[in-house]
Amino acid sequence: MTLLETIVDVPNRAAEYLSGERTGDRLARLREDGLAVHAALASLVLLLLFPVLVAVIVSTKESGIITGLGGLVPGGNTYANYYRALVELEFYRYMLNSLVMASVVVVGKLVVSLLAVLAVVYYRVPYKDIVFLFILFTLLLPVPVRFVPLYRLVTGLGWNNTVLAITVPYLASATTVFVLRQHFLSIPPSLVENAKLDGVGPLEFLWRVLIPMSKGILVGVSVIIFVYAWNQYLWPLVIVGDDLQVAQVGLGQLRGQAQAGDVAWALTMTGSVLTLLPPLVLLVLFRKPLLETFSIQRK
Amino acid sequence: MATREVFESRWQAAALLLPTVLVSIVFLYAPAVRAFELSLFEVGFGTGEADFVGLENYRTLLTSSEYHLSVLLTVLFAVAVVVGVMSFSLVVSFLIHEVEVGKGLYLVSAIWPYALPPAVAGFVFFFLLHPDLGVLTRPIERFGVDVDWFSSGPQAFALITVVAVWKQVGYNVIFMSASMNNIPGSLTETARLDGVGRLRRLLWVYAPIMSPTLAFLAVMNTIYAFFGTFAFIDVMTQGGPAGATNILIFDLYRDALQNFEFGVASAKSVVLFLIVGGLMYVQFRVTEKHAYYGG
Repeated sequence: MTLLETIVDVPNRAAEYLSGERTGDRLARLREDGLAVHAALASLVLLLLFPVLVAVIVSTKESGIITGLGGLVPGGNTYANYYRALVELEFYRYMLNSLVMASVVVVGKLVVSLLAVLAVVYYRVPYKDIVFLFILFTLLLPVPVRFVPLYRLVTGLGWNNTVLAITVPYLASATTVFVLRQHFLSIPPSLVENAKLDGVGPLEFLWRVLIPMSKGILVGVSVIIFVYAWNQYLWPLVIVGDDLQVAQVGLGQLRGQAQAGDVAWALTMTGSVLTLLPPLVLLVLFRKPLLETFSIQRK
Repeated sequence: MATREVFESRWQAAALLLPTVLVSIVFLYAPAVRAFELSLFEVGFGTGEADFVGLENYRTLLTSSEYHLSVLLTVLFAVAVVVGVMSFSLVVSFLIHEVEVGKGLYLVSAIWPYALPPAVAGFVFFFLLHPDLGVLTRPIERFGVDVDWFSSGPQAFALITVVAVWKQVGYNVIFMSASMNNIPGSLTETARLDGVGRLRRLLWVYAPIMSPTLAFLAVMNTIYAFFGTFAFIDVMTQGGPAGATNILIFDLYRDALQNFEFGVASAKSVVLFLIVGGLMYVQFRVTEKHAYYGG
């Protein structure tokens, strides 16, 4: 069993242990599923995991040069590699920058979108459907479509090489507004009517009632936004310099700096594993709310 | 009738909508409109002075064989990615649907590439298949293939396709699994009793029911192939060798930030916008059509 599988399997195993299921029963059920199906599934999943497993193994070795499957055994250089990459080659800076960018985008998008959805769902005002469509329509405008003017605009604002440049342009979110609106529409109207009769204002209603009732969705949406922000590559690449650069772009720097020795690949794979870790951990930890949120998005 | 719309203050509603609307206008709509405007100008390098040239930039695109090649490559790439990722993900999701033991574990092991940063995918595959030093290079060469994507265009193209498919499987399995879970168990039972085999059940019973989800994914995957694959190219091939992986987004990036051809790059942005717009429209029509018979 692979490292990732083992980590991921902990909750399942614990549940099995608690439910007192015997290995025998498990085998019988396995047979019922069909061993061929399990074999096929396991090999497909392994195919998906293989590249990253190689990266993990290489990140533990002294030299990254492996020219054959036989060389794929973990080495004893794990601590040295991670220390060298994070501290000596300062990869921690890129990780921190990514973390700051992703966190600001998550919080910013959530706050800004929650306010907008409050107006869209709970206010009777003219033209609000048009405003909603206006927000949704931004889905048609990914960065490449407005690349040059956006670059000139942000440069003109003097935001080059600031956190503002890699966060503010991301704050409007059609997806978040859409998902939250769907969710709020599933909450009974009587709640807001009662709140109003009790003299509760809109912001207090949002804070005291809606947010506590939407924890699952908010977690799911946060993971989606975090992964989206963490995985941005093109925009940070062009708009911020090395000081504020994000982990994905920093990988190239890491490879360049490590190139001097023959350990370049081991260190590049170390950086790759580090860059993958934060979004992966969030996905594994919060897979349930994440999957629920996705099912709303498709409705 | 009960209503949620209990608040009526217009200025409050406007204030709540302001941040989202403001960011949308300043950073999304205005630059998009400006891109259209810029596409009608020739922008001087360095000086930033713009001369109105009408549709000249579009004429340049129409007559540039390099750009034509890039369009053709991107379409081929998108088709390969969409077909590849959807067939692979459909099989994986179906098998997960079929088993009882270890369902949750299989699901997580299949959806995780959703979280995979594209540059990481690029670096890992660069390492796996490096023509001289790759882990998989020698095992593959035993089958008589000379791994040499530094100089072979078709190989480089195949490589970025494989990486792009790999990274997108997770996203597809998320939606396909959810869609399969909504298929009524009675239908599966009936098919079983009628002696319909697994493959035929997937293709002739499940896939039609899932068609709204599949249509949605086809569009999302196409958009991904057009816009979400920049990092693979930047990390692995830089559009080469000899333009073999120079897909539209990389081409646009190079025009804007390496050649400083702002006018032409903006015209390319407008072309990309028309493509995304067209795709969204198609998705809308397809979903609308399918909404009548549910699913």
